Amino acid sequence: MENTAIEVRDLVVHRGKKPVLHGFSCAIPAGSVTGLLGPSGSGKTTLMRAIVGVQLVKSGTVTVLGKPAGDKQLRHEMGYLTQAPSVYGDLTVRENARYFAALYGLSHKEADAAIKDVGLEEAKNQLVGDLSGGQHSRASLACAIVSNPKILVLDEPTVGQDPVLRDELWKRFRGFAEAGTTLLVSSHVMDEANRCDRLLLIREGKLIADDTPAAVKASAGTDDLDQAFLNLIRAGETPGETS
Amino acid sequence: MTGLLASTRAELLRLRKWPALWVMGGVGLALNILFGYVFDYLSYRGGSGSEITESLAPEQVLSGLLPAHVPVTTVQGMPMFGGVILLILGALTMGGGYGWGTWKTVFTQGPSRAAAYGGTLVALFTVVIVLVTAAFLLNFSTATLIALAESQPLAWPPATGIVRAFGSALLIYAMWTAAGALAGTLARSPALAVGLSMLWALAIENLLRGVANVLGPIEALANVLPGTAAGSLAGSLGATAFSEDGTPGVLTTLSGGPAALLLAAYTAAFAVAAGLLLIKRDTV
Repeated sequence: MENTAIEVRDLVVHRGKKPVLHGFSCAIPAGSVTGLLGPSGSGKTTLMRAIVGVQLVKSGTVTVLGKPAGDKQLRHEMGYLTQAPSVYGDLTVRENARYFAALYGLSHKEADAAIKDVGLEEAKNQLVGDLSGGQHSRASLACAIVSNPKILVLDEPTVGQDPVLRDELWKRFRGFAEAGTTLLVSSHVMDEANRCDRLLLIREGKLIADDTPAAVKASAGTDDLDQAFLNLIRAGETPGETS
Repeated sequence: MTGLLASTRAELLRLRKWPALWVMGGVGLALNILFGYVFDYLSYRGGSGSEITESLAPEQVLSGLLPAHVPVTTVQGMPMFGGVILLILGALTMGGGYGWGTWKTVFTQGPSRAAAYGGTLVALFTVVIVLVTAAFLLNFSTATLIALAESQPLAWPPATGIVRAFGSALLIYAMWTAAGALAGTLARSPALAVGLSMLWALAIENLLRGVANVLGPIEALANVLPGTAAGSLAGSLGATAFSEDGTPGVLTTLSGGPAALLLAAYTAAFAVAAGLLLIKRDTV
């Protein structure tokens, strides 16, 4: 598909002996913000790792920008924010951003722009280890976006952020998408889902919905996404299963 | 090649901005001056030999503090004390990437793993060159001041002696840095890597050398340990062995050539082993 940035086909992933994804398939349109929603342990992070190309898969395919996930040529096209921040706590925000910029062959200018993009300009000279949890996470986000990637995979980027900052971050995500970046953003907070172009609802490693927020709500017969998620789960349960 | 250059540039930036590097470098240079010059000079000025220099006549103590003796004085503290600092540096640099979780981002988005590791190693060896150069410059300056203060002639060591000592110092520090890098990669944790490295360098090697006196097979092993090679290289330059009331870590087990070759082999082996582990093992 021409407009598809990420395509997952029949993906099966086991972590240890435990099956995590069971024949998962989805397509993520280019230049969109796609929300990956589901409860903790549903397989969101595993799917993201598979898309980024760091997860061993049992079967199935993951294609990113027309290349197999993990392909060398995708390295500079991908930005990945892990759940746990991955920045040096004993360097300042600016030093961290400049470190990652240098790693990608970029200048200080791009590093400073990334810091501005995540709203950390005032804290740029602070040691990352001295930042609050939310600032720490944003410092990590700055390092993930410093290379201006075409694909941005963000694992729970708004955890620990106050409502104002969360709102600002979502506006930034929208801005990235408008500039052509494809975003896959995981969350287990349903009120963030309305900000996405599309939603992937995942539970126990299975896709239970893949549509726009409005369509998901309509198909579940409710205006509330939380309730829609519950309705879709219940609708998918076979008789005799416990709820 | 582009990836290696980018990684080297990034790692140099990181090391330069890293407070721990300045602390370790400062401590290393301070120890070098304290044990190489300050204590001996104070004991010489006091007229009564300290515990360290009591077996030496005051003239012998002074001659060891003059510029002609700088190559030996500089290298003698490196096999053990200086080496441990570099061991910690290597362990923290590599282990820190796991501890802070940064390797996973680097390996996902940055240059190839081989380039990322190569850049880190080049940056670490650049630090080694800077530290060795700083130690020589500082020691030459201190020795010159002492010579002037004591109205001694400014006799310089031969250029070959300086080059040999400089090369030996680089080799000793490079070996310990590579050993630290391997420990950091093996442990995947800075704290564990530092602990294990120090245990090896300060306790286990010395214990093995102690046991070697009574057990033949252990002696063969003890004679080729990394610390033995480093201490022997310093000893081959004229540093007094610890067993002869000299500096801890200085040995006369091996002659200069074999010690240098062994150090080079250890440096290469540690560097390659750490690289292979980093490249082949899962990190995220």
